[in-house]
Amino acid sequence: MRFFHSIRWRMQLWHGLLLALVLSGFGFTAWRLQRENQMGRVDRELEQRMGLVEESLRPRNATGPDAMRWSSREQKLFDGMPGQAFYYAVWQRDGERGNVSASAPSGIPRPERVPGPPVFRSRGDFRESFHDTPAGDCVLVGRDIGDELAGLRRTAWLLAGSGGAVFLLGLAGGWWIGARALRPIAEISATAAKISDGDLGERIRPADSESELGQLARDLNNTFARLQAAFARQAQFTADASHELRTPVAVVLAQTQSALARERPAAEYRESLAACQRSAQRMRGLIESLLVLARFDSDETAEADELCDLAGIAEESVALLEPLADEKNVRISVEAAPAYFRCNAGQLAQAVGNIVSNAICYNRPGGSVRVAVHPEADGAALTVTDTGQGIAPEDLPHIFERFYRVEKSRSAGQEHSGLGLAIAKAIIEKHGGTIEVASEPGAGTTFRVRFGTG
Amino acid sequence: MRILLIEDEADLLASLAKALREEGYAVDTATDGEEGLYKAREVGYDAIVLDVMLPRLDGWEVLERFRKSQKTPVLMLTARDAARDRVRGLDAGADDYLVKPFDLEELFARLRAIIRRAAGQTVNTIEIGGAIIDTASRKVTLAGNPVALTAREYCLLEFLALHRGETVTRTALYEHLFDEDDDSLSNLLDVHVSNLRKKLGGGLIETRRGHGYCIG
Repeated sequence: MRFFHSIRWRMQLWHGLLLALVLSGFGFTAWRLQRENQMGRVDRELEQRMGLVEESLRPRNATGPDAMRWSSREQKLFDGMPGQAFYYAVWQRDGERGNVSASAPSGIPRPERVPGPPVFRSRGDFRESFHDTPAGDCVLVGRDIGDELAGLRRTAWLLAGSGGAVFLLGLAGGWWIGARALRPIAEISATAAKISDGDLGERIRPADSESELGQLARDLNNTFARLQAAFARQAQFTADASHELRTPVAVVLAQTQSALARERPAAEYRESLAACQRSAQRMRGLIESLLVLARFDSDETAEADELCDLAGIAEESVALLEPLADEKNVRISVEAAPAYFRCNAGQLAQAVGNIVSNAICYNRPGGSVRVAVHPEADGAALTVTDTGQGIAPEDLPHIFERFYRVEKSRSAGQEHSGLGLAIAKAIIEKHGGTIEVASEPGAGTTFRVRFGTG
Repeated sequence: MRILLIEDEADLLASLAKALREEGYAVDTATDGEEGLYKAREVGYDAIVLDVMLPRLDGWEVLERFRKSQKTPVLMLTARDAARDRVRGLDAGADDYLVKPFDLEELFARLRAIIRRAAGQTVNTIEIGGAIIDTASRKVTLAGNPVALTAREYCLLEFLALHRGETVTRTALYEHLFDEDDDSLSNLLDVHVSNLRKKLGGGLIETRRGHGYCIG
């Protein structure tokens, strides 16, 4: 049931229970104290009267039946005034009722014989004290406590009434406090619902940033911001990837539709097929790069389980890229001192290859690329320096972004998908390394890669 | 009809130029923004096909600078298909927008449409005297009978028909019917005109001595 699962209702239930317990305990104690107080006073009065009665009972001159002879004043006192609350009764030794005051109610039962100090009892609206005198008579002093009992009942009603009022006030206050305390949660939940509906820009506005809920709201906002950024990156990446695939597909479509439009000489078909092949190869390269990046995005750490020589990796990469350098008329040289560290050699070769081929492709004809590897105190470093056109300062911060190209077109490097440096950076960072770039437009660019031994 | 094709992807440029030439257009090409802008300003094209991602000057920039002085219809060709990119292109003065990859048939149809609109036509058929020119199928009928025309003859007739009532100079005809690589001699124009007169009747194309030609 929803009712029992609501925090607010559960809080209210416990709050009500506690309040009722405290209030009833307090009220009952107050009533008991009042009652004991009243009864104590009545009992003390009865004790006093008991003493007086016994005093006057004590035989002064005789024993036997005459023992109960009182003076008229005593008798008057004993009988009491009309409306007086006290009354007395005396049973003589043989069980016969001796004297009963006029104010006594009728039909007082004779108490059990109680030697020793007086005993008290309550009987309806009456409080009585009795005991046997040393002479063997039973003396009873009573009092009508109807007024006191009525007073106690009034007190009880008063306590119950005010307790009930306090209880209701407490419940209302608790409900209000609960609502206030839970309102930010309702806001958080409403915002989270909006966000899950797709409005990723929505944020929680914490009312009190220092409270626990304020902290929660801040944490959630940070999470939402990171999620939004991740979604935006993903969307941008997907848009860029599909954008990159559109041009080669357009080439294939145009070539095939044009070729199939009419009969053609074999040479023209060959030309069309060659163009389609180039486009397909470009798409293959792009798909491979996308897969590499997707793998890096899902894997947290590289499998750095081999002890590799960075110099060896650099030399191999350069050897593989020499045909490309020849084609572009770029000289390429390696200065490598052995520098060992733990890494995944295949991945690292790809990263180094991407950086070096980038340096070759964006070079000028007749330029050079210098690759240097040297061990450092706490790791290994690799630098790739080219004599190309350099990178403009406004482009420099973006060159490791996926699909970012300095020249706003594809023609500067047809064979480059715009992912090479992004992949290199991903690989290097998975290995705990860093990559930095420094460039002087017109003079060249230097990439510096460092790995710690850690 | 002469078209300028500005596209930096060599394979796409080659196949589009070839396909457009086979459609009977005279096609000039440019592989970057600067060259494209220069040619667009120099020659009176009937339409320009402009890629957005270009080296040196991107398509937006070319369009913006070009639109300051000229009204030639422009069809933008791009790999970006976000709505705001399309809006930006159209607001910058593009007449139409085609997202890569596209079908050649659609490119042809859109080109015909922007050329037609620029000439103030709303349908693909033009009726002159007894001749009906269908610019979509590039067929001409005279009193219901198909007339066989060469590609050049058709282009000449279509251009004159689209500029009906105007006197079209020989220079304009050379500019619009032949591309930059064409070395046709000037008298070829007269040959085409006389052939058209033979096939469609002498009264259709008038010669304005010293000015050019006109279809009334």
